[in-house]
Amino acid sequence: MIFASFEIAFTQSIWANVYLVALCLVYLIPTLTPKRIAWLLFMPVIPILGTWMSFYFHGTGDVWHTSWLLSTRIYAYIFLGAIVTFTMPINNLLGSLEQNCHIPSKFVYGTLGAFNFIPRVTQTVKQIQSAALMRGEVLHAWSPQIFFKAVLISLRWSDDLAQSMQSHGFWEQQKRSHFDTYPMPLWNWALALVALGGLQAVVFSGLG
Amino acid sequence: MNSRSYKLRDIIFIALIGIFCGAIFFLTDLVYNFVSAALAAIGLGPVANDLMLGLWMIAGPLAAILTQKIGASIFAETLGGFVEMLLGGQFGASAILAGFVQGVGNELGFTFTGYKRFDKFGLFISTITSTIVTFIWSLFQAGYAKYTPAFLLLLFVVRFISIGFFSGVLVYWIQKLVLKSGIATRAHSHG
Amino acid sequence: MSKQLTVKNLTFSYETDSPKILDQVNLVLQANTFNILYGPSGSGKSTLMKVLCGLYPEFAGTIQSGQVLIDAQDLADLQPGAIVKKIAFLFQNPLNQFAMTTVDLEFKFTLENLAIPKADMAQRIEAALGQLHISDLRYRKIDTLSGGELQKVALAITLAMDSQFIILDEPFASVDLASRQQLLVLLKDLQVNHGKTILLADHDLSGYADLADHLYQFDQGKVQEIADFGTVFAKFQHFDQHRTFPLPISADDCVLNFKDLSYGTGESPLVQNANLPLLQGKMVLLTGANGSGKSTLFKTLTRLHPFSGAIYYQQAEIRKIRPKQYAQKVALVFQNAQMQYLRLTLQEELDLSLAHAHHPEIWTPAVISAQLQALHLKGLEDHIVYQLSGGQQKKLQILEMLIVGTPVLLLDEPLAGLDMASIQVVLPMIATMAAKQQQTIIMISHQLTGVLNFFDYHLALADKTLSYQEVLAYQSIN
Repeated sequence: MIFASFEIAFTQSIWANVYLVALCLVYLIPTLTPKRIAWLLFMPVIPILGTWMSFYFHGTGDVWHTSWLLSTRIYAYIFLGAIVTFTMPINNLLGSLEQNCHIPSKFVYGTLGAFNFIPRVTQTVKQIQSAALMRGEVLHAWSPQIFFKAVLISLRWSDDLAQSMQSHGFWEQQKRSHFDTYPMPLWNWALALVALGGLQAVVFSGLG
Repeated sequence: MNSRSYKLRDIIFIALIGIFCGAIFFLTDLVYNFVSAALAAIGLGPVANDLMLGLWMIAGPLAAILTQKIGASIFAETLGGFVEMLLGGQFGASAILAGFVQGVGNELGFTFTGYKRFDKFGLFISTITSTIVTFIWSLFQAGYAKYTPAFLLLLFVVRFISIGFFSGVLVYWIQKLVLKSGIATRAHSHG
Repeated sequence: MSKQLTVKNLTFSYETDSPKILDQVNLVLQANTFNILYGPSGSGKSTLMKVLCGLYPEFAGTIQSGQVLIDAQDLADLQPGAIVKKIAFLFQNPLNQFAMTTVDLEFKFTLENLAIPKADMAQRIEAALGQLHISDLRYRKIDTLSGGELQKVALAITLAMDSQFIILDEPFASVDLASRQQLLVLLKDLQVNHGKTILLADHDLSGYADLADHLYQFDQGKVQEIADFGTVFAKFQHFDQHRTFPLPISADDCVLNFKDLSYGTGESPLVQNANLPLLQGKMVLLTGANGSGKSTLFKTLTRLHPFSGAIYYQQAEIRKIRPKQYAQKVALVFQNAQMQYLRLTLQEELDLSLAHAHHPEIWTPAVISAQLQALHLKGLEDHIVYQLSGGQQKKLQILEMLIVGTPVLLLDEPLAGLDMASIQVVLPMIATMAAKQQQTIIMISHQLTGVLNFFDYHLALADKTLSYQEVLAYQSIN
């Protein structure tokens, strides 16, 4: 998937993008609700329109081709992204990274633990903003204070969370067992290879 | 926080910084979004994108100067992309790839100083490297190569200003606050 | 093998040149005993406990001298995974105990860390939860559990880890009274029937008289066993007290008004259909058990928490007022003082509040100077606020929020970290300045002794109902 992302970044083929979107749809339609699919299709219309128009007005050479190429490329990105986002919960994704890619468990669980704080982080940002309003100050995205507070709280939370993980036996150098395993079956690899092969065929057949 | 190897606490800290920066981006200033929507409507979408880019990239330099670890920028920015995906950014998992590229750009600046300058100078170099690296990426990925030279120059300048302010000046201000307040040394001495 | 935890001449400090938090501590915990460590909050009990379970010096500070021995092995030579199989630790704030999002995931994370084979995991989890009668909590989300439930789950995890020693740091700080009793019964059962050794730190010794085998006092960095602990426990006997308050009669001068106000966390409601006014210029004491939703009420009133029904500020529904304006009407003194700071030095903080004061004419330099004097903050004007002590930070926070002078000021446990002398200064200051600025004050406080005279009304949150109550029954310590 990462490879495909890189590849379409450099190709000039509209059809390669369309091929990828179609491929992703085939994969996503059985797993997602129609509402989700519709959302995926229609949500990006505005940025895509913006991209299309900017290339049409400010582009060089074949502006029609460029406009369509870049607009379809955005769709391809969104659908490639959707495959990961919607078909794999974050726990499984990170668990798979630990077991299949052998990323050190401290990175996997440190990240996972921090991600579990996301609801608290958004709550806290709101609190920081509202605490400032109570003292008559509006904090913007360019106010150093709001980031300073974020640093202050991150320092405390990272200390607390690391301690809580250690108190439940987590230790960087230690071998762990696994309750859920995420094997990468052979057919997964085969499927990926076939799909990539198809992409190459479209790119090099000069259809674009 | 001076050893070069990552401890669990450093990893969590960098991840939290990435998450906070993402949350701040989403929760503050609709003004900024209005400006970009307006720009997009008149065919200047990429200008808006470049204007926002620096704000997306704060986490990298912030993590780098606070932890002074090799790879902190890349880690923080890649996670930033992850957070963007989770908090509902429209580009899904491809945001992770973009975050990685931004992180590499940031990181290079500190690499050029031999990971010795985590100050004004290091930040300045990293704004230059990240502008160049992300711009090269955009030339291919977002098709910038197809724009007229004048429009390209505009985009480059806008991007450098945005990255220069958000990932340079603003991060420097935050660093000054952190140093003056003494919280970084106190954080570990709470009972 | 002697199953005991031994502390030998242990000296510990955060920085090499900073004061010793633990000074030549000696302590032996015999297997299968129930031990209480008592001492004032902030005295360093937490530090000792974190050293005992190996979190310190790993996370902070250094051991200057001495050692901790478990089964004759030096703790410093053991890896964390090996330590938790022997010594488990329960944090003061139960939320700090969990890294995962559900009870089940936290159990699995823990057992994976200990490299327990997959085949044994389910049985261990079920047995541990069953033993504490909380099997129904297995698939619950951590952030929907009450303080008492969180501590029970944390305790169940220590059973799954099969740790011999269980160390608990002020475990009841956010647990209601009924859950506290249940937890104590469970702990005693674990000690008597399952061979566990308990060390529990608390600043309040009520309810331990029949449970404890040993009592240790922590004071000035030293630990001392108190042989004749009956007399100490007797001192902590609670005396039932009553206090009557008037009920508000007229709602003419009402500043906030609740209409069918309901709110909760997750699926569980905290308050249902509250209908009552808050009157202008009055001081209201808000009481209720731990976890009953008092702090959440303050978040609701400051629009940081969703609610149904309506809250009116004067005549306007608060969701219709712009956030920036509303923040100038109803402000909150957060539990965490640092949440409120926006500048670096004490003087800059005061200046910022003065710049936005509703009644600047009241806050003359002479008045401010006198307040600083009374609060013992005089002379600290150039200090960095983050470097002040906890008590100083809290006093500054209260002063600067009083200076802003919003019509309604909510104070969430402002007295918690203050000593009695400070409370005697802070409360009169709040009362006088609030009266001058005609502010409505609502305060959450667990500290009731020496506090009640300052309040006009008593608002109670009990059984999901919010109401003014004439009678406040409370317990005082001799």
